[in-house]
Amino acid sequence: MSVSTHRPLRRIFTLHLPMLAIVLFALGPYLWMLLTSLKQESTLFLPERQFLPAVVTLENYVRLFQKTTFLNNLGHSLIVSSGTMLLGLSVSITAAYAFSRFRFPGRRMLMLQFLLVNMFPIVLLIIPLFIIMKGLGLLDTHLGLILAHCTFSIPFATWMMISYFDAIPRSLDEAAMVDGCTPVGAMFRVVLPLTVPGIIATGIYIFITSWNEYLYASVLAGQNVRTLTVAIQTLVGEYEIAWGLLTAGGVMGALPVTLLFMLIQKRLVAGMTQGAVKG
Amino acid sequence: MPIKLRSLLGAALGAAVLACGTASAQQNVNFWYHVDNAENTKLMDELVKTFEAKNPNIKIKAENVPWNNYFDKLFISIAGGKAPDVAVTRLALQPQLLEMDAIEPITKQLAAWPGKADLANNLLEINKATNGEYYYMPLQYVAIYLYYRTDLFAKYNLKPPATCEDFLEAAKKLTLPASANGGTELYGFGMRGGKGGHDNWGPFVLSQTSFAPDALTSPKAVAANSWYIDLLRKHKVAPPSASNDGFNEIISAFKSGRTAMIFHHIGSAKGMTEALGDKVSAVPVPSCGGGRWTYFGDESTTMFKTSKVKEASWKWMSFLGESENNLKFNEATGQLTVTKSGALKVPHPARFVKATMDSLAFAKPMPLVPQTADFVSTVWPTNMQRALNGEISSAQMMDAIDKHFNAK
Amino acid sequence: MSQKSPTSMLPYVLLSPAVLATVIVVFYPMVQAVITSLYSNILWRPRAVRFIGLDNYIAIWNDPVFWASLGRTAIWIGLTVPLQLLLGLVTALLLNQTFRWRGLARSLILIPWALPSVVIGLMWSWIYNPQVGLLNDLMLRLGLLQSAVPWLANPDTSLYAIIAALVWQGFPFFAIMILAGLQNIPHSLYEAADIDGASDWQQFWHITLPSLKAVLVTAVMLRIIWVANSIDVIYVMTGGGPGYATHTLPLYALKRTYASMDFGYGSALAVSFSLLLLGAIYLYLRRVGKTIE
Repeated sequence: MSVSTHRPLRRIFTLHLPMLAIVLFALGPYLWMLLTSLKQESTLFLPERQFLPAVVTLENYVRLFQKTTFLNNLGHSLIVSSGTMLLGLSVSITAAYAFSRFRFPGRRMLMLQFLLVNMFPIVLLIIPLFIIMKGLGLLDTHLGLILAHCTFSIPFATWMMISYFDAIPRSLDEAAMVDGCTPVGAMFRVVLPLTVPGIIATGIYIFITSWNEYLYASVLAGQNVRTLTVAIQTLVGEYEIAWGLLTAGGVMGALPVTLLFMLIQKRLVAGMTQGAVKG
Repeated sequence: MPIKLRSLLGAALGAAVLACGTASAQQNVNFWYHVDNAENTKLMDELVKTFEAKNPNIKIKAENVPWNNYFDKLFISIAGGKAPDVAVTRLALQPQLLEMDAIEPITKQLAAWPGKADLANNLLEINKATNGEYYYMPLQYVAIYLYYRTDLFAKYNLKPPATCEDFLEAAKKLTLPASANGGTELYGFGMRGGKGGHDNWGPFVLSQTSFAPDALTSPKAVAANSWYIDLLRKHKVAPPSASNDGFNEIISAFKSGRTAMIFHHIGSAKGMTEALGDKVSAVPVPSCGGGRWTYFGDESTTMFKTSKVKEASWKWMSFLGESENNLKFNEATGQLTVTKSGALKVPHPARFVKATMDSLAFAKPMPLVPQTADFVSTVWPTNMQRALNGEISSAQMMDAIDKHFNAK
Repeated sequence: MSQKSPTSMLPYVLLSPAVLATVIVVFYPMVQAVITSLYSNILWRPRAVRFIGLDNYIAIWNDPVFWASLGRTAIWIGLTVPLQLLLGLVTALLLNQTFRWRGLARSLILIPWALPSVVIGLMWSWIYNPQVGLLNDLMLRLGLLQSAVPWLANPDTSLYAIIAALVWQGFPFFAIMILAGLQNIPHSLYEAADIDGASDWQQFWHITLPSLKAVLVTAVMLRIIWVANSIDVIYVMTGGGPGYATHTLPLYALKRTYASMDFGYGSALAVSFSLLLLGAIYLYLRRVGKTIE
């Protein structure tokens, strides 16, 4: 919106209050989960409903870290999600560049095919994928899970990057190539730096999609490579739900992504397009 | 010729050495199980250690698979060609596993097993397959009984219900608005209408009918089902959320004093006593229309045909069936031990053990046919919920179930 | 100016890893699913598998649950995606402003999206619980309700209750993606508009929206596909019930495949769903005028 600063009072109503409302909406259930995790598990189902913990306790977190393999699982998730993000980004960026900048036979069909891949319910893909992974000897390995996650993140990530590439005029590429760059060089030197926000958004998308994935993680892996989502599911039993551990685990589970994002979010809005793009 | 003989002997000797070497090489047994409390995997680790100390050439790789897609994962691995060696399983799956030719008979091993005599009576018989062979080694069991609030019953001068009529009367007396109950609404019966709730429905309906063709659609069966539906729709002794309530909801409502009676089994007894102490007790389910039925919940181990370490697998299965080891496993799951010697030492509060034992006379598993698994996960919940919401009638619901089991 | 030979192999080279990782790996299972849908294939009856041609599809046409699920899927997508878009758009516009705590706001917004579905499903189930849940408690205390509403057990409200949870989960995706898209709009455009005296709303309508078009169209399309296929949260909260009230088509396919072990029919449902979705997306792309040139 308009860049010029308005009267501070007006900004409270048009900016700070709505922003606060949205943040509270986003945080509300999470905060409630946090409060629950700080209560003693034995007090969770008393007749009187209490919002705030009567006694604040860290026992759930202590149990989570000491008595379960939670940290271990967190580590596995980090490896798988980071791997998926790096592999997925590199593959989808090059593919998206091809789709955005070139016209070639089969382009339309391939673009639609990328969409079709994600339209198919993955529950029906699981058995053939299981057989493929078994054949490659990749069951219960990080690489196997990374590849499996890439199969459904790459198509979407490619489409996302296409939309960000399309926003950069081709005149920039051409100018660079007139100056002697190869097409790939133009991509690296000129276009990519301008799409850093898009790359970050896409990277976060891939990371989160892989981080939250459950079906492949539980079926294609589980023993040596046990991710966070699988570990959390073990807290939901047949006739017992370990609410204390579950809420503590849920609270912790969202933190790595949030912290990661906090580190890179400045680059998301480093809109340095002034001067680079002539109207 | 002599050269040939020598090389032949050499080869034979080499093969013998190789065979001996393989026999003492390490064998890995992949074992899948599930425990509700993730902290209890430590107990499994201890069991594995004890076993490995006794059997130095066998390594057990035990995996705690999350309950919510335990059977999905099992079927996918069987279909994908990489089943585990041993897994915890249930009777409801036996027909399907047999049709898929996935499991290995253990009849011979059982016959030669000394621990067989210590198994509780007729547990093996219940687990026997229709073709006469044994595939399952019993691991633990439960029977559904009725939890009730002793303090509320005492307050309103009620006795734990022995018949359906008693049940309804007690439920009505214990359904009170918040104003009459110290600020908290109370419902007499925490009905479980979501998935798994067929064991709430069974005592009221299956006590008066069976799954035989046309039995489910008889007037008596339809009337019994109607009576059950009326608990919610007419008498309103169950909370309005009943049709979607699963285990978690009925337990939390009962623990927080919002319902007075629920059906469940000894697996939750520990949590109940922690939350309610002496205010909770249990009795067998009431008898209805002259009959009595409750759900027998079993869990056993089975061995898969694709296993390459069948002997080692059997050793592990029988190990878990031995008195002390079985008790330890049950500590992790909260269910009841299968051995007679172990039954004398169970850690559960006595009143819940008694309720379970007293139920054994009329506790039955669901029919041992392939349709049962689908009945439990789809046919029953969907039809029950629609009937509870008034979308279909009792007769229509029974008809759908009958069609499912007895389609011509 | 489009690139032709001598670099005509370049696009294919650039594409090959992506094509390998996705299309080829998934292509075989998809083809196999189509083939399976032409058979009567119930997993626990491996000896009774036989080819039945289009019988599964004819059965689908006559299946009232299929039509009910289709209707639910339409409501599901038709409400969730626009609501997520709207909330995400507003959030992105706000986050694009300069203010002291924007780094914190941007990071906190991510949290709903960063939680695993099972946690979200269980959390919201508890919030909706009439006996011990937060929502009923608050509404009763505020006098908005007379008695607790069983949001998830009532077939009239269950789908919408889950939609609310999904909107909460998914709006950060739009917020982040749109925020990235906003960075490519030069400030000079806004400055010029300010000088010309254009109001905030006019600037939004004439500058922001058109510049965001490519990103919005793609984001909505991706989200439609994702939401259509997303059954984790529904599964945890109601399992598709009560009755068929929260059955979406992929959920129905899941239940028929894994609960009933009817792989033939389940595959046919999945194939039908994919084709319908493909058709819907194709119409959507034509409607918004984005021709894949």
